[in-house]
Amino acid sequence: METIKDALDFRDFSKAERIGLILFTIFLLAFPWIGTGSFVKAVMIQFLLFSLFGMGWNTIGGYGGQVELGKAQYVGIGAYTVSLMMVWWKIPFWVSMPIGVLIAIGYSFIIGYPLFRLKGHYFAIATICTSLVLQDIFINWKLVGAAKGIELPIHEHPDFLYMQFKSDTYYYYFIMVFFYVALFYMNRFRKSKLGYQLRMIKDDEEAAESLGIDARWCKIKAYTIASAFVAVGGGFMAVYNLYIDPYSVMDLDLSIKIALMAMLGGAASLWGPIIGAAFLVPLDRFLGSWLGGYKGLIGVDFMIYAMLIMAVSAYQPRGIWGIIEQFRRKGK
Amino acid sequence: MIYLEVINIVKEFGGLVANNNVSFQIEQGEIIGLIGPNGAGKTTLFNCIVGFHKPDSGKVTFKGKDITGFKPFETNREGIGRTFQIMKVTTGMTVLENVMVGAFCRTDKRNIARAEASEILSFLGLEGVKEYHINELPIAIQRKAGLARALATKPELLMLDEVASGLNHKETEEVVELLRRLNTEKKITLFLIEHIMEMVMSVSQRLIVLDGGEKIAEGLPGEIVKNENVIKAYLGEKYAKSH
Repeated sequence: METIKDALDFRDFSKAERIGLILFTIFLLAFPWIGTGSFVKAVMIQFLLFSLFGMGWNTIGGYGGQVELGKAQYVGIGAYTVSLMMVWWKIPFWVSMPIGVLIAIGYSFIIGYPLFRLKGHYFAIATICTSLVLQDIFINWKLVGAAKGIELPIHEHPDFLYMQFKSDTYYYYFIMVFFYVALFYMNRFRKSKLGYQLRMIKDDEEAAESLGIDARWCKIKAYTIASAFVAVGGGFMAVYNLYIDPYSVMDLDLSIKIALMAMLGGAASLWGPIIGAAFLVPLDRFLGSWLGGYKGLIGVDFMIYAMLIMAVSAYQPRGIWGIIEQFRRKGK
Repeated sequence: MIYLEVINIVKEFGGLVANNNVSFQIEQGEIIGLIGPNGAGKTTLFNCIVGFHKPDSGKVTFKGKDITGFKPFETNREGIGRTFQIMKVTTGMTVLENVMVGAFCRTDKRNIARAEASEILSFLGLEGVKEYHINELPIAIQRKAGLARALATKPELLMLDEVASGLNHKETEEVVELLRRLNTEKKITLFLIEHIMEMVMSVSQRLIVLDGGEKIAEGLPGEIVKNENVIKAYLGEKYAKSH
């Protein structure tokens, strides 16, 4: 009971932030009825999905301060579990997705246990490596479709159990529900014992240890939570795209995007990953479709992307939300 | 039963002997000062006791229990608290939040942690700054915040690493007063590294002197100032002879 109350309690935020959250919610609810095209709706779904990923990453990467660049492997675990169970045994999404999350939790524990002996850059490199290894295994593993990937069987009629719908609007509302569950969870997380302990570890790991905190165990816990979040999104990606391969759900590119969005928006803040995704997902998509189309301009979108990230991290390492907070503190 | 016992601690860093066969005992309720010139191995000895370093050989027991090689968070759970010479502050945690982290190691409930943290802050006279970030505060207050953080873990034995360095005369007196109160009111055994002789002489009931990694003297402050080895270590051979 207290847990739920905590999750829904936004009282420690300023009035402006709370009004913003309400307006944002109304906007999200009304969005499919505004009458935008399917492209914009697809971008919107992508935004909610990456916000979910970013919020997951934020537990270990933001609050815990560990540069984690291997989240794609958990997207892959979520997506492959859902796809394979559906193709092999016709198991519905609502059963296979939680199983995918459990597998992700188990796997992240096995990976996390040795990985968190490492610190700083070494840890970051190790996370990239484990993700790449898993991707390579899936590329060469015939049983799971190897490099060709898996196509999900298409049902003739819309089916809630298998998450198959004719209209994007349904997918939109489902990912929106996941998004809010994640948001409320994170709202509780930041106020929880683990949340405080992780922030202390980020500030000064030695001091944290001297305050009775088992830093390695705390990091493993946060890493596991992050992986569970990401696996939910992975499962959703599978039923939404109806096709997955190791390049679309396990690529390094995806890992980096997840981490960058959260960092750009503002790591270790509740709004950061959402702001980051709101900024980068449309930019990524629009730049990609506009500039990517011109011959000779291929890759320019990546350059703009990179320069933005450099500018923000040089000016304010705490991201866009850090800049906003800086102005607010000055205003006081 | 001996409260804290350190037996023949040896710690080397690649050929450099930081602690060489150091042994001593501390009784419950004492205030002990650990002094010595720069590089004498004081902080290393602290780290060996709380578990940041594993001693190469030797043994540490606390309340009869062998705690050699325990991790820092484990020694903390046994009841040993520790403050740092330098407080690293990089991100924005307020003073209250910092102290709450300490309190969280004895409870899971945020309300309890907050209440305990507030109580400790008012004991140290820091209610006014609890919403500030540590890096916005003067050094004397930062030190007190570090002390508050360690106190929140409810230690029985508190190990203080240069709690008064960088403070002016008045601030130092305040800290001395505070340490005495911790010892008498909260019944905490104190073990402190200190450079400021005036302070350490007035607050400590007993002193341990390290030089070059070895214990060269131990005793009451009055005896220590007259000890030939100590004078030699601090002032050089010449002064010891003329004394």
